[in-house]
Amino acid sequence: MNRIWLAFTSVIFLLLLAVSPWAVAIRAFGGKGVLVTLWGTVDLYGRAKVLPDVSWLGYFTAFWVALALAAAVATFLPEARTRARAFYVLGILGVAVFALEAYLFYHAVWAVNNAALAEGARRPPLKRYSLSLGAYASFLYSLFLLMIGRMQLPGGRALLVRWRGVVVPAVSMLLAMVAGAVVVWILKDVKMPEGSSTLDYYAAKLDLVTYTFQLLFGPLLTASGWFQSLLIATPLIFTGLAVAFGFQAGLFNIGAPGQLTIGAISAMLVGVHLANAHWFAGLPDPVARAIFLPLSILAAATGGAFWGAIPGWLKARYGAHEVINTIMMNYIAASIFLFMIASNEYTFFGKWTLHMPFKYPGYEGRSYEVAESARIPLMVNFFGFHQDPATGAWTGAFSWSMPLALAFMIAAYVLLRRLELGKRLLVAFGAAIAGYLVGSFLPGIPMELSPKLASVRLNGAFIIAVFAVAFYNYYMWRTRDGYELRAVGLAPKAAEYGGVSIAKKTILAMAISGALAGLAATHYVLGGGIDEYRLKQSLPTNVGFDGIAVALLGQNTPIGVFLSALLFGVLSTGGLQLDLQLGISRELVMMLQALIVLFIAAGGFLPRYFTDPILAAQAEEGAQGVI
Amino acid sequence: MGIETIFTAAFLVPLLQTTLRSTTTLLLTALGGMFSERSGVVNIALEGMIIFGALTAAVSAQLMEAPYLAKDPGARIWWIPWVAVLLAMVVGAFIGWIHAVVSIKYKADQIISGTAINLLAAGLPSLVLVYFYDNTTASKEVVNRLPEWFGFSPLVYLAFALVPITWYVMFKTPWGLRLRSVGEHPEAADTMGINVFRTRYVAVILSGVLAGLAGAFLSIGVLNQFVRNMSAGQGFIALAALIFGKWHPIGVLGATLLFGFAKALAIQLGGKDIVPPTVIEAFPFILTMLVLAGFVGTSRAPKAIGKPYEK
Repeated sequence: MNRIWLAFTSVIFLLLLAVSPWAVAIRAFGGKGVLVTLWGTVDLYGRAKVLPDVSWLGYFTAFWVALALAAAVATFLPEARTRARAFYVLGILGVAVFALEAYLFYHAVWAVNNAALAEGARRPPLKRYSLSLGAYASFLYSLFLLMIGRMQLPGGRALLVRWRGVVVPAVSMLLAMVAGAVVVWILKDVKMPEGSSTLDYYAAKLDLVTYTFQLLFGPLLTASGWFQSLLIATPLIFTGLAVAFGFQAGLFNIGAPGQLTIGAISAMLVGVHLANAHWFAGLPDPVARAIFLPLSILAAATGGAFWGAIPGWLKARYGAHEVINTIMMNYIAASIFLFMIASNEYTFFGKWTLHMPFKYPGYEGRSYEVAESARIPLMVNFFGFHQDPATGAWTGAFSWSMPLALAFMIAAYVLLRRLELGKRLLVAFGAAIAGYLVGSFLPGIPMELSPKLASVRLNGAFIIAVFAVAFYNYYMWRTRDGYELRAVGLAPKAAEYGGVSIAKKTILAMAISGALAGLAATHYVLGGGIDEYRLKQSLPTNVGFDGIAVALLGQNTPIGVFLSALLFGVLSTGGLQLDLQLGISRELVMMLQALIVLFIAAGGFLPRYFTDPILAAQAEEGAQGVI
Repeated sequence: MGIETIFTAAFLVPLLQTTLRSTTTLLLTALGGMFSERSGVVNIALEGMIIFGALTAAVSAQLMEAPYLAKDPGARIWWIPWVAVLLAMVVGAFIGWIHAVVSIKYKADQIISGTAINLLAAGLPSLVLVYFYDNTTASKEVVNRLPEWFGFSPLVYLAFALVPITWYVMFKTPWGLRLRSVGEHPEAADTMGINVFRTRYVAVILSGVLAGLAGAFLSIGVLNQFVRNMSAGQGFIALAALIFGKWHPIGVLGATLLFGFAKALAIQLGGKDIVPPTVIEAFPFILTMLVLAGFVGTSRAPKAIGKPYEK
């Protein structure tokens, strides 16, 4: 079996190496570039004057072919241990050679650029250069060899099965990316210059596909890209946690959009109408902030919890399935939302008129602005930057408070491993405050933020999201309630026999799940996630559905949910560039998300012992007959 | 304007027409969903199947008529909408097949698999629209849409005719009996020699066909183009109607008529100061929840629904 896989992968690798561009020396904004391939350069750019010297590429090609051949020979070595060693050596060799190649390429590019700058050019002539599919393929092939090496040793497959929480999502993501690549290949044609061969055409197509994914993951390379990705990830973390929380208790909460909506309405009611009420007008600013900010955050959670608890109660009391009920509640929430925000006057039967105070005057459906005291500050505020009202520039000194608070907290939590959990958390919290205080005494680094970075409205809701992740981890795996919830999810009958009230747990789980979804509203309404500190008709409730994808990709673990929300944030941010540069619609990202969910649902099309818990347990034990 | 405006022919006739039209989509979809659910496979993907059907019908009709329209801008070619409808059914079947493979063969959670298809339906159409029409929201308008017979699209008649047909197939034929047995007790059905997997495959694909048909009705029957998110949750409402109608064709007819009426009422009452349309739109959803909870009659699901069959 291993031999077939190795042969298959080797053939794919060599094909990719032969056909695809190995690197791109220079690229225009629209994606057209000069492709460096093994057989020469393909110039789609047309205006390149100088190119880096990559005459050494041929020798390395010989090396990769030799490596693939050596790997093929290695499969026939008689003893497992020798085989494993051979693969390890080949794999490490491959990684090292890849690193050398990458170094040589970038060195060559920089040499060209430096020479041009030395001659007085105003800009470096080579820009947006990067390695491309051929180089990536050789790196991945080396990693694959290392994995094959591990598989030769006893317990190799059991190890894979043990890591199924990572393997299944990773394989699904890979498959989704391949499907996405096919879609891009079909959708987008490239215009070839006169007299180019078919091989050139395929290279150009493969480059287009590669560039698509380079753009999608591009935000990881810039600070503003990270900020924007975290901004999009924040609500996804909440809704992803909400769905994951339901899954752990054996409930499928599709109602996150509705819970988010009701959470947003409650936050708006408290943040706008209570905080602005005339009898609180005399309160000094800090006092008002200390009252209304926590209160409106709490309102968002309570609203969501209420909306989640209803289907929970209906299931517990009447056995009505939560999926269809939460879907219905999504529509009801949407109706309530529209009712409140679209108009202030409704006439019933031509006689009675209802007056409401919620809609802000004007054509657009939106609420009044949230009071200053109930607004969540932006993250750049936390780091000590403020906008100059006159010039609009963001200046200040980079404050050490937040980074130190975080560092102290993590350090205390990690170091005090022996302490009882409650005390450990308490000490960690204390350490965070200490870190914050110490940081505020340290002199900051004065600097001005780039407008690009400052325009990203990443706000304190992100910190709430991080705490929500911590809460989820703590509650599910460190408390008795969480244990009982998971027991209900895994084996309801056994849990009931063990004395757990399924009805109570169902309501509780749906309420907490709803509260998490409702908290996503803090990002939009209180944190100004959509440009204004109001409830707007354009509230993107769809993130509730995206939460399903996030929870599944994250396999319902706290860190997994966080990382997959971040991944979707990165992809969505990259999708903007995709639209701008290549004219490929951002919906490609939505399609990728959907495919990831579909493939994970099918267990990544992996053998059953990866997905079936009982078979997986046997496979981990190395039981006979399973594999 | 007072309440008396409701009781005029100018209000009631369009109300009735709109009711029948908005019922048609729900009815076709819900009857399709009935096959799937009666065989034990939850089909939450109905929404996505409608969207794919609508997209296929509009795009294929537009592409087929384009060469004729280039010659004569008013060209009427009778077969184009029908071929488009057929293609929509084929694509619906294909989507149903995907749902079937993932949830029957790979034993995935049927709700998750359906949700994935719905997510796919939210993203993929835009890519297709960009490919053909260079915009993400709507297709070009179709000239050769479905004809109207006595004021209604033929698919309206078909949908209502399907009610007795489904009833007959489901309750009076051996195949219907097998289908129901697979949904109630797959192990028993298997021992009786019924191929559980094949029955379920056929049922899910059939539900895709009907949902695709409903989609085609939306895009080239009611409108003349595909608009993004044009199904607007009707797949979910059809699912609710299916439950409300107790998984029975007659019940489904009643439920979809009620939901269709509520929708038509909301449309017709727009701009009149009688009851706010948002309130009326929410009404069927509340009703469905009450039904589910058992306040308004009881509704019992097929016993093996949602469970992958392990041979």
